[in-house]
Amino acid sequence: MRMRVTLILFILTVAASVAAQERCLICHAKPGFSRVEETGRKISLFIDTTIIGHSVHAGKLCTDCHVDVTTIPHARELAPVNCRRCHYSGNPVGAPQGELYDQYAQSVHGQEVAGGNPKAPICQDCHGSHDIKSHDSPDSRMAKMNRPKTCGGCHIEIYATYRESVHGVALLRDSVMDSPDCASCHGEHNIGRPTDTTSQVSPAHVSQTCGECHGPMGVASKYGIKSDRTTTFEDSFHGIAHQMENRTVANCASCHGFHDIRPQDDPKSSINTANIVTTCGQSNCHPEASVQFASGKIHVDPHNKESGLVYYITKFFTILTIGTLAGLFVFIVLDLFRRAQRSRSGK
Amino acid sequence: MDERTHNAQAKREQIIEDLTKAIVDAAQPHIDPSTPREEIDKRAKEITERLQFESNIALSELVTRFSRIKPATEQPAQERTYIRFGRNFRAQHMLMFMSVILLILTGMPLKFPEFGISKFMIVTVFGGLQNSTLIHRIAAVGLIIVGVWHVGYIAFSRMGRRDFWLMIPRPHDAKDFFHTLMYYLGRKPSGPKFGRFSFIEKFDYWAVYWGMVVMIGSGLILWFKEMFNKGLFDIAREAHSDEGLLATLAIIIWHFYNVHFNPEVFPMSWVWWNGKLTESQLKHHHPLEYAEIINAERKEVELRAEKQSTGAESES
Repeated sequence: MRMRVTLILFILTVAASVAAQERCLICHAKPGFSRVEETGRKISLFIDTTIIGHSVHAGKLCTDCHVDVTTIPHARELAPVNCRRCHYSGNPVGAPQGELYDQYAQSVHGQEVAGGNPKAPICQDCHGSHDIKSHDSPDSRMAKMNRPKTCGGCHIEIYATYRESVHGVALLRDSVMDSPDCASCHGEHNIGRPTDTTSQVSPAHVSQTCGECHGPMGVASKYGIKSDRTTTFEDSFHGIAHQMENRTVANCASCHGFHDIRPQDDPKSSINTANIVTTCGQSNCHPEASVQFASGKIHVDPHNKESGLVYYITKFFTILTIGTLAGLFVFIVLDLFRRAQRSRSGK
Repeated sequence: MDERTHNAQAKREQIIEDLTKAIVDAAQPHIDPSTPREEIDKRAKEITERLQFESNIALSELVTRFSRIKPATEQPAQERTYIRFGRNFRAQHMLMFMSVILLILTGMPLKFPEFGISKFMIVTVFGGLQNSTLIHRIAAVGLIIVGVWHVGYIAFSRMGRRDFWLMIPRPHDAKDFFHTLMYYLGRKPSGPKFGRFSFIEKFDYWAVYWGMVVMIGSGLILWFKEMFNKGLFDIAREAHSDEGLLATLAIIIWHFYNVHFNPEVFPMSWVWWNGKLTESQLKHHHPLEYAEIINAERKEVELRAEKQSTGAESES
């Protein structure tokens, strides 16, 4: 008896939900379905079911996300979908969830949203809504190739700059998947302002972030790009000053730019010989910089033979230091030894 | 002066004169006949002086050893002292070491930025790189002042000129060096006898000289880098960093051994403060200088006596 009741209830529920889905589509499946704002702007309310059918949420009901639709016709303004209804730790439906949402809450986007900025992005602004795909799908808005465009939806000028930079060209035009997209430098859910000291693009961390690729372990060497860029930076006065927590000195971005990084031989590059004097001579850096000061080789490794005279100066001082100190040390030891001998003999 | 002493003195003078004559006579057959007479007389006079000096030393030895009164051993506090470093020179040294200590404290952390102590020094002790580099430059000005001051001192001060002259390395320094090595290795019973400056002190002086030239030269390039070529800047930076380390280690190991940790002076030699050496220190460390001083004093006394006697004669 009880069994039969359960079964009937189940069938009823399924039937009701299918019916509910179908009922939403009575209106929203009509291609011309739209509404006109008070401003005169026309907003399409048409839902292409094939898009949802190809999304990672295929099979979910409209009301699984739009929970505030309980009657039809529903309220004119619906609340934004709250992804956390499913994507929370230990959820029973197995929706993926880590500490990502907490990271987001701490990020510049999360904080802007919490502060009431209506333009700040929530989950679906980046990940998509009806068209949401698994993050490893190449069609996902969050796929590496699509990320610049997704971020560029809001940060449009930066997108335009990035697209022409060495990194943008490599990724978007040449499909070099090792080339950085936005998230490679800025992070994803933990994205922060450059002025935020914990941000990956803050002056304190920028050399580390660039070093992911341009450091000794970096992927840049695969493309014939030198991999000693961060070690030579760390050994330079700029790098040492950073280790001493001074943030007024140059980091990678101060000279190379960031979204507009270009190869040195590009006439628009900040480190092109035509522009380097201006770059070094920024008003808060070396305003008195002369041409011969700025045009010399940067990122010099004194321990590399290719560095020329500096290498030999280093060698000279190594030999001089070891030789002198060894000599002085021997002299001291002999002197002490002789003294000890003399005092033993009772003089 | 009683008559006995007077007679003994006269006799001693006579013997020295005879002995000089005998030495010159003995050498006569071997001397090139074309040698001018004055040259031989000059050497003869030197021999006389030397004999007088040695006999004076012997006399004072006898007196101190067998006299009933022994002031030198019973009252060491009243031992005679000699000025080794004048007031001017000590002031140079003080400004120098104050500058150098600051330069090392603010400079060395930048050579080893990866050490925790380096960050502690710069960030916590000096309150950031902005401050530490400012202090480094102020101390650098101190060091440059010492450099200019010292050059002026060796050019215009009488004592400076004399000392600089004596500082110039000479062949006997190489000899002294090997002599010392032989002594250390037990091949010679005693070390060499040094004048005012031993080869070790000359080494110290010229090491500082070299260090000053390298550090001030490269430091100025680093300071006014915008005026120079980046390649020159790189070289200056390497030289500044490496010579800075060498100088620091030389000071801590070698200089501190000589003036602090050496058992003879431990915990510290006070010459830098009072500039004085006691007679026994001078005799022990700079016997040739000591002999020179004694000789000069004796000569002066004699000269005065001679003047007095000639004055008395002309009066009478």
